Amino acid sequence: MEILRNLARRKLRSTLTILGIVIGIFALTTMGALAEHFNALINGGVKYFGASIQVGPPDGQAAILPLSKLDELKQVDGVDAVFPSYGFLANPGAVNVVNFNLPDQIVGSDPGESRYDVLNVHTAKGRNLSSESRGEVVLGSTMAVEFKKSVGDTIDLPVRPKDAKPDFVNHTFTVVGILAPTRTAPDNFAYVSIPDAQMLFKDTLPVAIRSTVDASKVASAFTVYGKPGTSLSELDAIAGRINEQVSGVKATKPSVLVNSFKSGGATFTAITTAAAILALVIGGLSVVNTMIMAVTERFREIGLKKAVGAHTGHVLREYLAESTLIGLLGGSIGYLLGVALTNLLNIAGRASNFELFLITPTLTAIALGFAVALGALSGVIPAFRAARLDPVLALRTTN
Amino acid sequence: MAHIELVDLTKHYRQGRNVVRALDGVSLRIGAGEFVSVVGRSGSGKTTLLDLIGLLLRPTSGTVLVDGDDTARLNDGQRADLRGQRIGFIFQEYNLLPALNVLENVMLPLRYTRSQVGNGRARALELLEAVGLGDRIKHRPDELSGGQQQRVAIARALVNRPAMVLGDEPTGSVDTQTSQELVGLMRGLNREEQVTFVIVTHDLELAGRADRMIRLKDGRLIADELVLHAA
Repeated sequence: MEILRNLARRKLRSTLTILGIVIGIFALTTMGALAEHFNALINGGVKYFGASIQVGPPDGQAAILPLSKLDELKQVDGVDAVFPSYGFLANPGAVNVVNFNLPDQIVGSDPGESRYDVLNVHTAKGRNLSSESRGEVVLGSTMAVEFKKSVGDTIDLPVRPKDAKPDFVNHTFTVVGILAPTRTAPDNFAYVSIPDAQMLFKDTLPVAIRSTVDASKVASAFTVYGKPGTSLSELDAIAGRINEQVSGVKATKPSVLVNSFKSGGATFTAITTAAAILALVIGGLSVVNTMIMAVTERFREIGLKKAVGAHTGHVLREYLAESTLIGLLGGSIGYLLGVALTNLLNIAGRASNFELFLITPTLTAIALGFAVALGALSGVIPAFRAARLDPVLALRTTN
Repeated sequence: MAHIELVDLTKHYRQGRNVVRALDGVSLRIGAGEFVSVVGRSGSGKTTLLDLIGLLLRPTSGTVLVDGDDTARLNDGQRADLRGQRIGFIFQEYNLLPALNVLENVMLPLRYTRSQVGNGRARALELLEAVGLGDRIKHRPDELSGGQQQRVAIARALVNRPAMVLGDEPTGSVDTQTSQELVGLMRGLNREEQVTFVIVTHDLELAGRADRMIRLKDGRLIADELVLHAA
């Protein structure tokens, strides 16, 4: 209580100091939420690409491969399963040059592939596709919100762009399931069966060759899996063997993809962390300044406390408690403001696939922990000054 | 109740190249329950003497014995404990904490002392009644007059049932009438609570109402006399 009243006695100064911490922790929370969002995306990439081998056309060739390569790939030592993959934009009209999120994609999915899933993809509502599914789609959580679809609704895929050419074709699908959020790529996926994916894939081919291609015999790429739990280095080795033994395809080593994801994430985290820490240091300095002034102003109070029996440790604790409380107050307000702002922006951005922030328990702990630690640390020097004051000098100070 | 013995107490300060002999070989014995005034001009060493008795300062040489115990051997923490448990202080400028109300100010010493005297709150309320502020316990110091603030400080000095109360010009900031009331209050508490009072003062009215007057000059004790009161 005494601490709060001491803060209340110097309203303007206390407010400014707490505001310093508020801004610091607010910056940390919003920047951190941005970093957490990207880290979740990146971690999904690291997990997914660290557990499978992407096999595409050789460099410089169009993404159309004969399905017969599937059997050749299965022959390679260490390969447990191979699935054709078909991926194309679900919302071609919405492609931005700069987008902080993954674009919406239509993905052909074989029910057997779920055995190799490392992202814990599962339906929140409705059901999964079966091997007999035709004209059915399972939407990722972001897709469902973006297009306001629930189980039983229909959706035309790919979504017709506003300036669509007359020859644009799309097909009507019934939503049979909606996935639980994964915070990474599958949130932006629309899963269709392999035959449906082949049909849609054909629509994406240039008109000149469209009629000559049997869509049921091609894939845009393959996803190769080792047995679940195969290590990254073993997968790299399998990728190497694929490149040696299977002609007309190129397998990318998973470690290359994983490392590029990781380095992108590290850079981003470093930038956001540096910005937030800068804001915090400024907040911290304002606490140091306030506490030094508080100690100077209260020389006589300190002298009196010592005269009536306070030990050095008592005084030290009282001043540390005061600066820690400043940190906690500012930190809580800054954190709550950060949560409020990021939530508002997420809600506003959700409809346009622009959800950028993720508040995690780790981030909460870091933000509040940092605030308290900052308050306490900033108070150490002033508190030591207070505690070591000679009571006689302190009592006779005129202020 | 305690008796205090000062043995050849000396305090020198270094001020630039000069050594200031703030107190120079003072020996003195103050019995339990006495009401003693210490007088002398500015710079005579009165306050230094009080700070030494109150264990706020360490002497250059000589010792302070409280109930026969040599305080020179105590470390800073033990001295703080002894202050908290056995000594009360009253200052010229009251030194109340502005963030605390009257009752909380009186109870402040209890915060730092381990051995508490029963129910501290009841004790504080009893003392506030005794100093005539029983109806002001929730007031803040800045809502009180100087005399009232000093009454709060007197109650605070007694809350731990100390053996002795040290006053540094306790009536130095109030008018004559208030000064007389405060002196009367302290004398009454000296009798009722059986507490030793040692008061440093310029105020001859106050000094005249003590049992004993000690006079200092240039750091030396030049007179130590009993005060005769008209019956």
